[in-house]
Formats: sequence, C-alpha cells, structure tokens
Amino acid sequence: MRNKTVIGLNLEHFLKALIAIVIGFISLLLPFTSKEAGRKNMVSTAASVLSAEHAPVISFFLYLAVVLTVVSLLVGIASYIWTSVKIVRCWMYVQICATFFWTMLLFAAKVILDESGVESNFLLKNAGVGFWLGLIAAYVSLVFIMKVAEVNVGYIILTILGVIWMFPILWILLTALRAEQGYYVGYFFPKHLTLKNFYDLFHNTAVPFGKWWLNTMIVAVCGCVLNTLIVLGTAFVLSRTRFSGRKPFMNILMIIGMFPGFMSMVALYNILKGLGMNQSIGALIVVGAAGAAMGYHITKGFFDTIPKAIDEAAIIDGASRLQIFTRITIPLSKSIIVYQVLGTFLGAWSDYIFPRLLFGDRQSSYTVAVGLFWMTDFRRIDSYYTQFAAGAVVIAVPIVILFIWLQRFYVEGLSGSVKG
Amino acid sequence: MDREYKRRNFITTFTKGNIFSKLSYVFCGLANIRYGQVVKGLLFLLLEACYFIFLFTKGIGLLHDLTTLGEHEQGMAFNEAIGIYEMQQGDNSMIILLTGVVAIVVTICFLAIWLFSISSGENARFNHDNGHHVNNFFEDVRSLTNENIHFLLLAIPVVGLLIFTFTPLIYMILMAFTNYDNEHQPPGHLFDWVQLDNFKTLLLSSDKLSQTFWPVLGWTFIWGIFATFSCYFGGMILAMIINSKGIKIKKFWRTIFVVTMGIPSFISLKVVGTMLGEKGIFNVLIQKWGWTASAVPFLTQASFARVSVILVNFWIGVPVTMLMVSGILMNIPGELYESARIDGANPFVIFRKITFPYMWFVTTPYIIANLIGNFNNFSAIYFLTGGGPMTLDYYKGAGKTDLLVTWLYKLTADTNDYNLAATIGILIFIISATFTLITFQRSGSMKNEEGFQ
Repeated sequence: MRNKTVIGLNLEHFLKALIAIVIGFISLLLPFTSKEAGRKNMVSTAASVLSAEHAPVISFFLYLAVVLTVVSLLVGIASYIWTSVKIVRCWMYVQICATFFWTMLLFAAKVILDESGVESNFLLKNAGVGFWLGLIAAYVSLVFIMKVAEVNVGYIILTILGVIWMFPILWILLTALRAEQGYYVGYFFPKHLTLKNFYDLFHNTAVPFGKWWLNTMIVAVCGCVLNTLIVLGTAFVLSRTRFSGRKPFMNILMIIGMFPGFMSMVALYNILKGLGMNQSIGALIVVGAAGAAMGYHITKGFFDTIPKAIDEAAIIDGASRLQIFTRITIPLSKSIIVYQVLGTFLGAWSDYIFPRLLFGDRQSSYTVAVGLFWMTDFRRIDSYYTQFAAGAVVIAVPIVILFIWLQRFYVEGLSGSVKG
Repeated sequence: MDREYKRRNFITTFTKGNIFSKLSYVFCGLANIRYGQVVKGLLFLLLEACYFIFLFTKGIGLLHDLTTLGEHEQGMAFNEAIGIYEMQQGDNSMIILLTGVVAIVVTICFLAIWLFSISSGENARFNHDNGHHVNNFFEDVRSLTNENIHFLLLAIPVVGLLIFTFTPLIYMILMAFTNYDNEHQPPGHLFDWVQLDNFKTLLLSSDKLSQTFWPVLGWTFIWGIFATFSCYFGGMILAMIINSKGIKIKKFWRTIFVVTMGIPSFISLKVVGTMLGEKGIFNVLIQKWGWTASAVPFLTQASFARVSVILVNFWIGVPVTMLMVSGILMNIPGELYESARIDGANPFVIFRKITFPYMWFVTTPYIIANLIGNFNNFSAIYFLTGGGPMTLDYYKGAGKTDLLVTWLYKLTADTNDYNLAATIGILIFIISATFTLITFQRSGSMKNEEGFQ
C-alpha cells in the first residue's frame, strides 16, 4: 500500500479500514445472543430467525447486517487489489448501509429475537460480545473508509444528531396526524392517519382555538410594530446622540433588568386592574410595548457599528437628527430590524406566564400559549392531546418557515451583539 | 456687569442667582418667564401646582398610610347607633402599599421636573445675559426633532417603564420587608413592616425555609453552569462541523437544527415532558427496544430529573449557540488556519490553540449574560418538570429541580407568600448584579487589549 498513490484518495488509512472491516467480519462469528439462548453467533442467529415461523418483517435488518458486512469485506479486499476512486466510493456506500443496519439492530434486536422465538426476553445489556464488537467495528471502518475516500467524517455525527434533534418534532407531527385519541399510546407510528385533529381544533365549541389564534396574531403584529419602533428609537438615541443623563438612564435600565421579570407581575396585574385594563389583549400589547425599551442592547450595538461620519455629513447638509434617524439609520439597519421583529413575533406566540395571570379564566381573550396550556392540564390532556399537537403544528409551521427564511438576519443580529 | 462664561450648577444657581433665579426654586419656571420663555415657564408652574394639589388632597394621606400599612382590620364592630354588631370594611394593606408607591413615584417625577425647571431657567438666564438667542416655545418644540431628539424618542419608553416596570418593581421590593404571606392576606387581614426578618429566616435560620433556600440556590448554580457550558461547547462543535470544508448542503444541515428554535419553547418543552413521562413514548420505546427492563423515572426521581432537564435544555439551546457561533467563526482569519496546517497541527491542536481562544475572547460577555439567563431560566424548568419531583425536605411547593425563579413563581402563584417571593427576587438581583459587575470589569480590560492576539 505504501508505494501506491491514487489522486482523490488518502491511502494512509487504507490498512486501518481493512483491519476494522476484518474485525467486523470476525464479530459475526462471535457470540451474539445472550446466555439464555446459548450464545449463538450472528450467522447462526440469522439462520434460525430465517427458519422461524413467525419472523417479523424487520428481520431483514439482521440479514442485511450480516450480508452487507460480508459484502463490505469482499469489496474492501477487491479495492486492495484494484485501488481506484470508484471502487473505494462503492465500498463506502456498502459500509454506510452495513453501519445503518448494525445501528438499527440496536433498536430492532429485541423484536426480532423475541418474535421469532430465538429468545424469550432479550435485553440489550445481555447481548454477547459479538454484537458490540460488530457495532463498533462497523463505525470504525466507516470512519476510515470515509477518510480514505476523502469524505468529511462530520456527516456521521451530523446524521446521528439530526435524527436525535428531529425525533421530538416528528413525534409532534405524528401525534397531530394520529387518528387514535389519547395521551399515552404504546407505539411511535400511528395506526391510522387523519386530518380530523386539525378540523376539530377549529370547530370545537369548548376550545375556541381560532379566536386564540387571532388574539395572538393581533398581539404579535401590534407588538412587532410598537416594540420595534420603541427599541429602534431608544437604541438610536442612546447610540448616536449624547445628552446629560444618558449614562444614568442606561444604568437604571440595566439595574431594573437584573430583577427577575415576573417578580413584579402581581403588582402589575393590580395596576392594570386599577386602570381597568385587566383581561383584555390590549393590556398585553401595552405592557409589552412599555417594557420593550429594556431590550435595546443588541440594536444599540448594531447602531454603534454604523460610521459616525455619515451622520456628520448629513448634519452639515442640514439634516435634523430625526431625519438622520428615519432617512439614514433605519434604511441601513435591515438585518437588525428583521431580528427585532422576528424576536417580538416569536415572543408573542410563546409568552405564557403573564398572559396566564392577566386573563385568568376568561377564555375568549386567551392567547395560543395560554390556550394550549389549558388543553394540557392533567384533567384534559387525555382528550385533547392530539388536538394540542395539531395546534402546536399550526403555530409552529409559519414560525419555522419565517425562521428558515430569515435565518441570515438572525445570525447577523446575534453576532453583531457579541461584537459590541 | 461682569459676565460669566460658565453655566452655574444646581447650587451656585441659587447662591449667585438674582431674585428670579432664587424664587424659581419655590415657584418653578419663574426664571424662564423672566427671560422670555413665558409658555415654558407657565407649564412648569402648572405642573408644580398640579403636584401640590395632589399632595395636599391625597398624597400626604397616602404617604402617611404607607408607614402603618393600615390600622383597622376587617371584622365585626359594635355599631352603637343601631345597637348591633356589623361587618366593618377594614383597611387593605395591599392597596395602601400600592397607592403609597404610586405617590412616591409621582413625587420622584416631580423632583425630576423641578430639577429640570431649575436648569432650564438657568439656561435661559445664561443665554440672555450673554446676549445669545433665547429659544421661544415654538423653537423649543422644533428642537425636539433635532438636538433634543432624546426627549421625543425616549418619552414613550420612559413613561411606559415608569408605570409598568418601575412602579411594580418598587412595590415588590418594599414587599420583601413586610409579612405579606399566606397568613396575612388582605382584605381580611393586615400585613405590616417587619424590616429584615424575611432575609433572616431565608438565609440564616434553621427553619425549613432556609433549608430549602440553600439547596435550591446550589442547584441553581449547578444548573446554570452545566446548562450554559454544555450548550456553548455543543453549539460551537456543531457549528464547526457544519462549517468545515467538505460538508455539502450546509444550509440543509443548519435548517434541521434551526427548526427546534422556530417552535415556541413552551410547546417543545411540554411535548418532551410528556414524552419523558412514565408511560411516555421514550419509556415505551426503550422497553420495546430492550434497552431496559422497566420504566426509567426520567422526571420523577431527583437525580434523573436533573440530568434530564440539562439534556433537554441542551437539545433546545445548542441551535441558538450554533447560529451565533457560525457568524463569529467566519470572522476568524483564514491565514491562521492555513499556517497552522502547514506547521502540521491536527484538528484538536487547531481547536485548542486558535478557534477556542478566539471564541472565548469574543464571547465572554455573551457567556456571562447566558449564565445569568440560565440562573433565571424559568421556562426550561417550569414547563418540563414543574420543579418536581416534590420532596418533603423542602418548604411546601418546592421540588428538587426548582430554580430560585421557579420557586419564586410558585410562592406567588400557588402559596401567596409574596414577601418570600420578593425576598428571593432581591437575592436573585444581588447574584445577577455580582456577575454583571464581573463582566463589566472583564470587558473593560478587554477594551485596552487592542483586540485578539
């Protein structure tokens, strides 16, 4: 191997890959099942599953894991003899499949062994050494083959993490589409799919979800406009102008910000009651706008990066400060405006504690967050769980789309804040 | 007449000023009127009159009640006229405290206006004496769009903050020095000032309260540190993998992780919470897969629950860090990597010697802010475990995964121990303030360092 060079391949790791795949092959002959089933190796387990009467469909994971490991060994040996980019790529794909099925055995081994009657009550921790060695060897050889083929190994990590990250989201989606009602079901994939949950959500008299959705939309849109304007104004003044009392003002805001926000909620509720504004969504908008100035930091950090010379030139040309703000600063700040709007919009959908306190039992002014939480109360969760999931999907989809679309601005906004 | 070329300050305006300047300490705006700003001066005078009318009709009574917090308890009293016992409306300590705070805030506002009127009068005098132009009212209004734009743009935020943030906050801070707990609930009962008793019971006594406070504080710190650093390093590594050479369709990978950010956190937390339940899908699956023989108490046993909340927070927090770090990673000069690679450094050395020091330098303030944010991370705990599992070792309502903030919330929402909640709030403030001070000192030293070397 040492004297061979092929363009597009990194043959340094070739031998390691080959050794790993040989170990993987040997592990097929080591004990696979637990002590109860007599420590059969993987090949004979596969043979007995194959001959069993009630072998489940997913037994093909087991067969394929065996077959693909052998194939991968053969392709590996072939690529040792005729080294080329094509054959190594081919080897990599075979090994990817083999590794996939080995991994699936982690989840499927019990079902396969129990249902085909090879074992009665298989537990993973009792599995033989062949199982673990094979699994590790599959991954190790995959890593080395990818290194030989000069493919980034990061794909393995990203795939595994991606599956983990997507798992709960998939669960919400599947629950929303599940025809069988109820909170605890003993399976992942629904037996019947339906869109009825979404229909029920909007046509249920006990759950005015449409109204909640509208309430939240009003709060979110008003909040986006008002909060963004207030934040922009505050940040502009604090960043671009100097006046006496500027530093004390910033310090007071910082000190107020260090108290936990909902410490003062009870008092706030009483004040709103005194003003006759309790239980209305107007109060939510007003309170949100009133506190918006506290979040000026990130926007100020962004404004600080706009060159002062632009302002000075405008002043010489006779522009007033207000004109600088509206004609120069705002047009230059697209990404931070998007960041603010997105943050406020998202906040309106997920804010729970204060609306909960504010609205009490007046269902008609609930926002989506309070309403959905009301549905997951332990007395109702069983009858509403699938509708809750449907509601979650209904509000998550637009936000996720917005988020994916405007991701770039979010990154710019966030990293801008860190620079400052 | 000898001219002064410097404006006088608050004290010298009085000592050196003429009769108008001196009288404007009592009658706001007199100096403005004298030097040609009639409308402005009259406005000051009007505001002053309003304040004193408020003070003498209502304010003094409110401020006096504030010292006693009410004297007449609601109860049966003998009515001699009719000759029977009848229900008598007592004082409501809570309303008294709240209106008293409002009176204080109004007074503070008036003091600010008073100070402002004096400096404004002095300005007018200065301009007049030195032969400068003295702005008339319309010019003053027009200056709001120019050199005085801060009055225009900050007016709404300041009023909003005063009414809806500052006033309630003062009210709650004062509450920490009363005994407004579940046994002293208005309107039926009065509560009273107790000085520092709440702090003493919470911090120093051998009471159940302090036996709850210290473990909860300890867990708050452990949680904050683990939650912050696990997400920080996880997000950084993830961003580095996605941004590394040879990964195609980067946008796709980023989107997969960003989806979790788009879903409102209370939904994903609530769903994950049900998934982790005793009969939840995780327990169903891991038994089906043969990973365990019996259900794992993910959220019902203290140590499991603590690990679970940190892991779930990892799931939620990593994408946020990933996005933020992605932006910064692109700012690291590529030549640094190039030369390191030529010198034969492997990826770990590159991370340890280049990427990590750079990131650490740039993101220290972010980490501290994040740490404080996590100490106060209400939603991650409340929506997932509700602070549970409950334990008899703690004061009623507090559970093993409760942070100080969630405990604070429970004290107000469930048990109505407002005084304790307010006390905890002040303690949280002290902790946050300490950390913020540390950050400020650090970032101050950073500014002198002339950037990353």
